Amino acid sequence: MPDYDERQLSFKLVYYGPAQSGKTTNLLRLHDLLSPQLKGEIMTMETQDDRTLFFDLLPLGFRAPSGLLIKFRLFTVPGQVAHDGTRKAVLSRSDGVVFVADSDRSQETNNGESFQGLAENCQRVGIDFERLPLVVQFNKCDLPSAVPEAEIRERWSAVPWPLVFAVALRGAGVEATFETLLRAVYRRHAESLELAGKHGLTEAAFVAGALGRP
Amino acid sequence: MSEPGFDREWQLADLLDAASLDRLGSGLADLLGGATAIVDGQGKVLWGVAPPQARQEPLVVELEPIGFVASADAGPAALAGAARLLTAVLRAQIRYKMASTLHLEAVAEDFETLKRNHARLAESEHRYKQLSAELEKRVKSQVAQLEERQQMLYQAEKLASVGQLAAGMAHEINNPLGFLRSNLSTFQTYLEAVAKLGGRLGEGEAAWQDLDLPFIVEDGRDLLAESLKGIDRIARIVSDLKSFSNVDRASEEFTDVNSCLQHVAGVMAGQLPAGVELRLDLLPVPGMVCLPGHLNQVFFSLIQNGIQAVRDSGRSGEVRVSSAAGDDGITIRIHDNGVGMASEQLDRAFEPFYTTRSVGAGAGLGLATARNIVLAHSGRIGLESTPDVGTTVTLFFPTPK
Ligand SMILES: Nc1nc2c(ncn2[C@@H]2O[C@H](COP(=O)(O)OP(=O)(O)O)[C@@H](O)[C@H]2O)c(=O)[nH]1
Ligand SMILES: [Mg+2]
Repeated sequence: MPDYDERQLSFKLVYYGPAQSGKTTNLLRLHDLLSPQLKGEIMTMETQDDRTLFFDLLPLGFRAPSGLLIKFRLFTVPGQVAHDGTRKAVLSRSDGVVFVADSDRSQETNNGESFQGLAENCQRVGIDFERLPLVVQFNKCDLPSAVPEAEIRERWSAVPWPLVFAVALRGAGVEATFETLLRAVYRRHAESLELAGKHGLTEAAFVAGALGRP
Repeated sequence: MSEPGFDREWQLADLLDAASLDRLGSGLADLLGGATAIVDGQGKVLWGVAPPQARQEPLVVELEPIGFVASADAGPAALAGAARLLTAVLRAQIRYKMASTLHLEAVAEDFETLKRNHARLAESEHRYKQLSAELEKRVKSQVAQLEERQQMLYQAEKLASVGQLAAGMAHEINNPLGFLRSNLSTFQTYLEAVAKLGGRLGEGEAAWQDLDLPFIVEDGRDLLAESLKGIDRIARIVSDLKSFSNVDRASEEFTDVNSCLQHVAGVMAGQLPAGVELRLDLLPVPGMVCLPGHLNQVFFSLIQNGIQAVRDSGRSGEVRVSSAAGDDGITIRIHDNGVGMASEQLDRAFEPFYTTRSVGAGAGLGLATARNIVLAHSGRIGLESTPDVGTTVTLFFPTPK
């Protein structure tokens, strides 16, 4: 459940996936692309070789017509296999997840194992995976060795989660991914939080506020 | 209530303790000049004195101010600079706080994982223990089954040897019984002649001769003498047999093993097959405490084995039983010059189920049973054999200390 009091509503959104799939790049591009009312600095915690050691954090926010401050705290997890404890701790209490997969054909096993880990870790930290707002992003579609979109869609046709194809390095698909997640998060919580009735926030207004679109 | 996570909304008071506030606050006051204060997000003064008409600059780490720097005298640019400086410190501090809190959470998660793995290990260890207990149970029941079978085999051997013994004895007793009966019925007719003589006493010497009484008297004497011998023989056989009759009465007696050997030899003497001789070379031995019935069985079967070995050789031969006493104890040897055993046979001779003959056809108890009995008497049993030359079984019973 998001953090909620009369002053503010805070959503924790986590970018999850195998090492080097482009999670940090997603956050960096979002920081450049989005212009909501409130946008914080990105806090990154990388080691010298560019690998995320703990997490990255991008805070975004806007005010609802009711005056309620809507906050989004976007986190990334470290992808390295060894950091599973950290991944679990970052994942806990999250309200939505973007799974960033690496389209490179050689990364299929890593993607599979990481996704499996996501499902297991959700269960361990008490998140109902079935109801968790989740978007699957296939990043690095620009790579010559990337698995073609048609093939990926075919293979993932049976799953309930939306797929987004991206080239995070160039910013393509990054905003669309975030928007898809925002819509899923809104639908999951709108009713119980009375977003439309009490705070005057429709789905469109919710998305527009978060992205900073007119 | 769980500890607040690394991703909590960090407040100014969480990030700067009193000592840090003091250091930073006094530094800022020196830079800005005049009254200076550090105030948290709710307007509470954490350090310094908030002047009444102070100007204040927000401290924003994420989206919203978590506190303010307030000063009455500093110019706007200096105050903004001071706020930037303090924000930079707060950013560094928040990174450190988040990282260290997350680290603790991760360690706790790893510990949880370890505990889960440990529980899984414990579970599999438990299963393994159950399995091994079950296996042990199964082994025990199979061992019990084997023991039962061995017991049955032992019983079968015993019955076979007792049966053989009985058949031999019946034959031996039948023989004297046969001539005893024939002698006595002849003697009956002789007595008829004597009765007739009673009516012809007047005829004198002529009747004596006519009734053939000189022959009758002569032959009658022989018949009775022979019959007495036959009865003695039966009596001896019965006495020898008596020593076998207490096989299952496990009471210890102080006995001369030589007399045991003599009894056994006596029982067997009558049933020796043709071409097999049984010789006793017994030297005086001290008495010993033993189960005579059991020892008799051992001697019987060892001698029986010897006899069989001679028969199997197809030649005539002998079984020689000797006894002698030394300082350490009594040695008994049963030697035969029969077929002998190959070394492979010799190696397995004491195995409980090993026999070269079919069960029941065997002579006496198996060597394993013989050895068990000898061991129960604190004795030793040894076996030497050469194919086609013969076999010697040596028994040794130590003198009790
Ligand atoms: N070719 C290509 N490389 C990318 C793309 N997105 C990220 N990368 C590169 O992949 C590497 C790992 O990216 P990063 O965001 O640090 O991955 P993270 O470990 O998931 O945070 C970096 O060298 C990025 O430049 C993409 O869309 N295409
Ligand atoms: Mg990263």
